[in-house]
Amino acid sequence: MSILTSKNDEDIAKSVQSGQVDLFGILVDRYEEKMKRYARKFLYDTEDAQDVIQEIFLKTYENINSFDTKRKFSTWLYRIAHNELINALKKKKTLPLFDLDKFFPHHYHDNGLSQQIDRQDTRQIINQHLGKLEPKYREPIILYYLEGLSYKEIADVLHIPVSTVGIRIKRAKEAMKTTLKKIGYNL
Amino acid sequence: MNDQNIKKSIKEIVLDKIKKGEVKMRPKAHFVLKTILALSGAIILALFVLYLISFIAFALRAGGMGSLPGFGSRGLSSLLVSIPWLLILIAALLIVALEILVRRFAFSYRRPILYSVLTIIFLVFMGSFIINKTYLHPSLFQRAQEGRLPVAGEFYRDFGMPKSRDMHRGIVSGITDDGFYLKTPEGETLTVVIASETRFPMGVGIKEGDAVMVLGGRDNNTIQAFGISKINDEFNFFRQGRPTTTDPRQMLMPYRMPVPPNR
Repeated sequence: MSILTSKNDEDIAKSVQSGQVDLFGILVDRYEEKMKRYARKFLYDTEDAQDVIQEIFLKTYENINSFDTKRKFSTWLYRIAHNELINALKKKKTLPLFDLDKFFPHHYHDNGLSQQIDRQDTRQIINQHLGKLEPKYREPIILYYLEGLSYKEIADVLHIPVSTVGIRIKRAKEAMKTTLKKIGYNL
Repeated sequence: MNDQNIKKSIKEIVLDKIKKGEVKMRPKAHFVLKTILALSGAIILALFVLYLISFIAFALRAGGMGSLPGFGSRGLSSLLVSIPWLLILIAALLIVALEILVRRFAFSYRRPILYSVLTIIFLVFMGSFIINKTYLHPSLFQRAQEGRLPVAGEFYRDFGMPKSRDMHRGIVSGITDDGFYLKTPEGETLTVVIASETRFPMGVGIKEGDAVMVLGGRDNNTIQAFGISKINDEFNFFRQGRPTTTDPRQMLMPYRMPVPPNR
């Protein structure tokens, strides 16, 4: 089992595809906490999150043959999770059908180092004030600051342009800054 | 339930359902088929949009509608009536459907929708431009006129004809003292009266055999011409020697203007 656990996600997924169904448990182990955190932060409902996480892993197993093992497993799994979470959210509230953010091009600068420092500093504060954000801004913030995905990976998870990821994170931070200013905190 | 129990139960529940066969892994063929269907759907839709837009361009040009703005406000109002709005709306909806269909692929969703839609529109218009350089629509239109196009015949006959009551298309079958006779595709012969105010945005010099579009009110078989415009020889469907091919390969051959016989 120790040899198996040292294998990367993509190799394990390949083994599951070829019939070693039990190995799927390793993938569940590896991503259960991450999915829980993602679902709880996004849905703000522990009861719903529990059901959705199960559904995410069942869908992952059901569709594992559609996973291209040359690509990153985590991005593919987050895509399934995103779809399930959106479906769960739709049951509670109406989400807008069309989003102008995806329509027009946006300019953003991908300055890796400053983003990394910014990510560490901001994580704690974001964690406490996520609930005040709209879902479309909340999700990229969770994926970037809490799950550690890159802009490109977030773009692949949400099926939106990379520039839109940048603009949503920027707007989310601005919205949080305004909220924090009101309570006398400077971000 | 503490966190350790939750963790245990999720993994256990998932693996239990897999082992009991309540959840089954979909075969690879399922996804291959799905991708093939999505791609074929996108290609078929793209070809249909291409055909529709090239047909709209063809119908507008063949109906002599390009010269209507030259007739002033009366020409413009006739143009607004004659434009196939329904087809344009259908084409726009199909472009939206095509965009939705290609949005699932990374090359599309990684770019803003505006770029993706503009690329589709550009490609469709380029394709339509190329199709309009072939015999396809003229041949199908002529077959429709001759009643040899079973399915799309009515479509071609209907949209190939001017919609405005003021628009009359035909060939000049004889010259009179104050105008000419116009033979219409329906077989009627109308008398066109030219007055000093009659406009000729494409120039004067009407002669027998010319294909023309006359704008003016009709009283019985007489038209008081408000404006007259020659239809490009390319769209003269009434003269002999037009392409009458039934071979689809020949329909897609580039169209060349017929060379007039030496006089």
